Amino acid sequence: MTTTLDPDLADQIGLPGTFAATACTNCGVCTAVCPAGLDLLPRRLMHLVLLGAADRLRAETETIYSCLLCGLCEEQCPAGVRITDTMRALRHYCNRTTFGL
Amino acid sequence: MSEPSPADRRIGVYVCSCGGNISDYVDVPQVIERVRDEPGVVVARRAMFTCSDATQQEIIADIRQQRLDGLVVASCSPKLHTETFRAVARRAGLNPYQYTQVNIREQCSWAHTDDHDGATGKAIGLVRAGIARTARTRPLEPITVETVPRALVIGGGITGLRAALALADLGLGVFLVEREATLGGWVGGFGAMFPHDRDGRTLIAGLVDRVRAREEITVFTGAEVVSRSGSFGNYRAGIRVSGTGTGIGANGGPDPKTAESITVEVGAVLVATGFDTYEPGEGELGYGQGGVLTLPQFKTLVDATDGPLTHQGRPVRTIAYIYCVGSRQPHGTPGANEHCSRFCCTATVHTALRVSARDASVRQYHLYRDMRSYGKYELLFDASRRAGSRYLKVVDDQPPEVAAQDGPAGGLTVTAHDALAGGEELALPVDLVVLVTGAVPRANEELTGVLKIPVGTDRFYNEIHPKLRPVETVVDGVTIAGACQGPKTSIEAVTSGLAAVAQSAAILKRGHAELDPLVAVVDPLACGWCDRCQDSCPYGAIGRAKRGESEVAVIDETVCKGCGGCVPVCPRDAIDLHGYTDTQITSMIDGLAEAVA
Repeated sequence: MTTTLDPDLADQIGLPGTFAATACTNCGVCTAVCPAGLDLLPRRLMHLVLLGAADRLRAETETIYSCLLCGLCEEQCPAGVRITDTMRALRHYCNRTTFGL
Repeated sequence: MSEPSPADRRIGVYVCSCGGNISDYVDVPQVIERVRDEPGVVVARRAMFTCSDATQQEIIADIRQQRLDGLVVASCSPKLHTETFRAVARRAGLNPYQYTQVNIREQCSWAHTDDHDGATGKAIGLVRAGIARTARTRPLEPITVETVPRALVIGGGITGLRAALALADLGLGVFLVEREATLGGWVGGFGAMFPHDRDGRTLIAGLVDRVRAREEITVFTGAEVVSRSGSFGNYRAGIRVSGTGTGIGANGGPDPKTAESITVEVGAVLVATGFDTYEPGEGELGYGQGGVLTLPQFKTLVDATDGPLTHQGRPVRTIAYIYCVGSRQPHGTPGANEHCSRFCCTATVHTALRVSARDASVRQYHLYRDMRSYGKYELLFDASRRAGSRYLKVVDDQPPEVAAQDGPAGGLTVTAHDALAGGEELALPVDLVVLVTGAVPRANEELTGVLKIPVGTDRFYNEIHPKLRPVETVVDGVTIAGACQGPKTSIEAVTSGLAAVAQSAAILKRGHAELDPLVAVVDPLACGWCDRCQDSCPYGAIGRAKRGESEVAVIDETVCKGCGGCVPVCPRDAIDLHGYTDTQITSMIDGLAEAVA
């Protein structure tokens, strides 16, 4: 299935000012340390947000709400990406778009 | 000529173990034992590393104390260490041409790792052959040639311009030949360039002003080098000036404004002919349709305005860059450009940063194969990500596709599999596609033929040694610099240009140069001039001269490369090659045959 990208997605999500995922180098440390074993691990989730894969994100509510917000990935991230803040913003986004809240 | 007979010679033989490279397969003590009684041998030793300073000192001491008149080192390929041990001989007062390098590594131990006895027997034969040759050597002196204190620089891009100035700074005369009507090359057409954002056009304008102001430099534009004759240190180059020559007639040369074809005399030639950019094929990744540009075309678009980017009247809000177009093509495809073009990753990242700085809301997607913004340019890559550029990794067997969008709005859709998104197929709606095209070798067949510079399988010019002789070619006095040798950034190109200047000046500033005396000589008493040797010479080194009533062949020893091609064709055996005389070669065969028997 082809996912069409929406370049303005990051703006629509209203990511926090501390969001720094543009600095993500896809090193995979976040994925390695994640204790929750998420279906869609942090680095790939961050990448989809950056690219603007809106449809894919909206289909990933299970992952987005399963995150423990423990911050282990954020502690280890060499690029200083605010992963938990981004998770919270994504929940707001899903609340608005997927669940109409 | 009274020469000592081989048995009366005083030869030192050193057999190297090469730290096991040789001694793991060849029984070195046995080799020593079997050659120490050869005629003329007075010293025979083994060494762990003959090229080490300690062993070199030992050899020097032997030469002096034992009054050696010949030296044999059996070690690696002559390509590696002939000059090393010639220098050892020279330091000890022995004529360096009485030294013989015997190759028992590449041509023996490494080739016969499965047969130790066979390897040892072969090594004994090779060393015997080397001893036999050495016993028939006599002192030779280098050929000294006067050099003309001027250089010919071919190519007026950033490399050629900077090299011309550096040669002039050293007090050398320069003829600078540019094929195009104006100087400056690629850089002369660029705006801001990485890494420091300086404008290429401004850089070139400054260089051209400085070049024009120098009396030592004569510039020919719209001109090509069409012939080369003479030899190292004294080349005559024919320059065809079409259109407007703009030289200043210095160096006593003719005024090129009026000359259509002129000849200049130079001691060295510096080739800086640069590269071409890859031109995508029609339809390759959408090339040919509106909104698909190459990197140089895109840079021109960005340079053209300080305002918002537009293309064909449409605002540019989203851009997709597709990397490695025309570079790193699959191995095995005929004519494939398998090389990485080095500068394109960084040039694209830098251009994307300029776009972001102008309007941060422009969305930029980079579809890369591997990011090679190496060294300090990594910081630009990092900055571009922070400025909002998005990077997608495409894999080689699933290249992106570019298609026009349906509907009146125009625009393009790039479809790609992003490895970072788990290989998902993503569709990017964009306004502009930039094909990141790299460097390809210039079509310069005529010049290549004139200068006889070797061309590699990649079709770029070849240096002698990529590390130790990176700008010299096998043609003495002809150096290569810049991107004619392979893709380079402008920084690397100028660096190699200045290296070529240093190599050229090393010859020209001394006023004379020394050539190997290993050249062919004609015995005029035996020669009956039949022209067969002249036909056989690939270098045009053989002419004829009157000798009394008859004519004989004469060899220009500054042009002769000592290839030996003329020796066997002579029906009267009138030609011999210094350092490889018939007597020496025959004795080497005897030495080998004796060991085999």
